[in-house]
Amino acid sequence: MSRWVAALRLIGVGFFVGGSILLGVVAGLWLDNKLNSAPIWVIVGLFLGLVIAFYGVYRMLLPLMDNKRDKENS
Amino acid sequence: MPKRRFLGCSFPVLLGVLLVILVLFLVSLLSGALGSSLFGDLGLPSWLSVPQPHPELPAGVVFHLLGFPITNSTIAAWLSIIVLVGISYAVTRRLKLIPNRVQSMLEAALGWLLNFCQEVAGEENGRRFFPVVTTIFLFVITNAWLSLIPGFGSILITNAEGETVELFRGANTDINLPLALALISFIFVEYWGIKSVGLFRYIRKFINMGRFFGAIGQIFSGKIKAGFAGLFNGAVDIFVGALEALSELVRIVSFTFRLFGNMTGGEILLLMMLFLVPFVLAIPFYGLELLVGFVQALIFGGLTLVFATIAVAPHAVEAD
Repeated sequence: MSRWVAALRLIGVGFFVGGSILLGVVAGLWLDNKLNSAPIWVIVGLFLGLVIAFYGVYRMLLPLMDNKRDKENS
Repeated sequence: MPKRRFLGCSFPVLLGVLLVILVLFLVSLLSGALGSSLFGDLGLPSWLSVPQPHPELPAGVVFHLLGFPITNSTIAAWLSIIVLVGISYAVTRRLKLIPNRVQSMLEAALGWLLNFCQEVAGEENGRRFFPVVTTIFLFVITNAWLSLIPGFGSILITNAEGETVELFRGANTDINLPLALALISFIFVEYWGIKSVGLFRYIRKFINMGRFFGAIGQIFSGKIKAGFAGLFNGAVDIFVGALEALSELVRIVSFTFRLFGNMTGGEILLLMMLFLVPFVLAIPFYGLELLVGFVQALIFGGLTLVFATIAVAPHAVEAD
């Protein structure tokens, strides 16, 4: 993998975390407003956003971690 | 004996330039908001100071076209398009084998971008992604750099509702434009992914029910233990697929807010620096904003490229 791909992946991580949490919370707020059920969906959305954030970051960093492991093994 | 030169100027000239900069700095420090809060009102003429800016996030509506509001950021985006098309037309109208200065500059920039695409996505896919990635890059960077031209945001006009709005406003600082670019990038990434690996194989990344239904079949055919283990694995597959689909949507949000936030933040930073210490202090931040514009354009284009590369890769390769 070229350095460019690694750099771009790392740059993408930060805003991905923010974006996923934001999307979850905004969707939760919208649902709560619609269904009049505050604060259940906000909490669900926040939790889902956090899960997506962690999963997405894990997936983005997986190739980089593999790279490192390969170097350590060889 | 040649005269000694400092930074390309003779000593008296250099001293004069430094003196002018020092005087300008002192005057601007005293007349700005920072100076007046430190030293009190010194009775300097009012045209020396800059009024406090009130940045507004929604773009101002300049006029209505067939009932559709045309905002100042839309006009700035049109201006960017005109600039880009104009440069391309002027340069490509008379292409020469031995390029002149502008042509060779453009050739170098495009060559660098093509090289970048091919380095990230490979020879063939790089050429395939190049037009979209480069268009996004050039559009974002033109928007960012045009809005840094002094006087860009200071042309005021009065619209039909009687409000005074700026004629131009950096197109990247209106959240609709980053959102539109993010949607374009998203649609192209999905299109390339579907085209390369096939619709059903592509969708299987997001809706992966094979193992789940397989396990149900196993339970009905009597293999209860293997069936329940498979049921759990199948549920994990479905959950992971849903996460993949959602993270695909999150990309749109993160693309949008990255560009919008960086550009709006830069604009407000420049305005605030002008307010605190007029004339002088904004200059280093102008340099910073030039860099930020380039970096954001590179990130927007480059991340589109990376996501496209991931989308067209066969799943087995990606899992390695």
